[in-house]
Amino acid sequence: MKVYEVFLKKQGKDEFRHVGSLEAANDELAIVLARENYARRAEGELMWVVDRDHIHVGDEEFIAPNADKPHRHNDGSVVAERRRAGRADT
Amino acid sequence: MTSLGPAERAVLLAFADDEHLMGQRHTEWIGVAPFLEEDMAFASIGQDELGHAAMLYELVISDLTGAPPSAQAVDALAFRRDPADYRSCWLAEAACSEWASALVRHWMYDTAEALRWQELAGSSDVRLRDIAVRAMSEERYHLRHADALLDALAGDADAGARLADALAEMLPLGVALFDDPLGADNAVGSTVGRPLAALTQEWQAAVDRRFGTRTWGSIETVDQARRTLRSAQFATVYADMREVIMLDPEATW
Repeated sequence: MKVYEVFLKKQGKDEFRHVGSLEAANDELAIVLARENYARRAEGELMWVVDRDHIHVGDEEFIAPNADKPHRHNDGSVVAERRRAGRADT
Repeated sequence: MTSLGPAERAVLLAFADDEHLMGQRHTEWIGVAPFLEEDMAFASIGQDELGHAAMLYELVISDLTGAPPSAQAVDALAFRRDPADYRSCWLAEAACSEWASALVRHWMYDTAEALRWQELAGSSDVRLRDIAVRAMSEERYHLRHADALLDALAGDADAGARLADALAEMLPLGVALFDDPLGADNAVGSTVGRPLAALTQEWQAAVDRRFGTRTWGSIETVDQARRTLRSAQFATVYADMREVIMLDPEATW
């Protein structure tokens, strides 16, 4: 048995969303079983099932070793202040 | 306004009884199927079959009364007839304590069911066509589910042996599904399609493609007496499915 991650997309502009996972013997059974386990009440119209082994994982140590990055966030206040000062000068 | 005669009604009630019993038997696997995901899927398929039964019971009642069917009237047909008045086939009534038998029965029944809905999809009666379209959209899934499991198990020696035993056990009952119910002989073909007997060969060809060819004449089938006899295993499923409603038969749900 392999583990599959299940993604569903509802109609309209929604993107695919992760809805859960399941165990199945092969790709076909994964789709067949995911349909009844995750979409039997019309929760979505399109489905992806992805073999978990095929997912490349970026772990936290590599992706987010440092959440404190104020220099990455420009809220425009510095520029606004400079322009306000410029207007006051004229 | 009644547009169905007694013979067409006999055809539809037998189909409804098959769906009802099959749905009931499938849902018995909730909690005890071989793995969690299958447990959910198989019981859900059973619910679909119960839905098909309800649509057919409702159609028969509304056709007779000319009004939308009351829940009590549907329950009366589904749960409160005497065993002798049901027209289910023994394949749908069977207990199937082994998963292999339940799986082979599932494939056999749904293969036959798809043929039956195909007949109703060509009906001159729009009510039957609508029900058939709905049911066929679900049957595509049911058959894909059964085929996917059989394909996955086919390569395993132990599973293959179990499935072969299950096939031998279920074939006599599968053949007996095509026993047309009492009173259906003069049913109008343009309304309910061909009789079950006329669908046998197509079903047998499908069984041969799936499980390998065999000599059909050598299979000893069972005598359901035009579906008027209940199998030995009917009594327990009859008691189970009536357990709640018979606590208070007049209750409104």
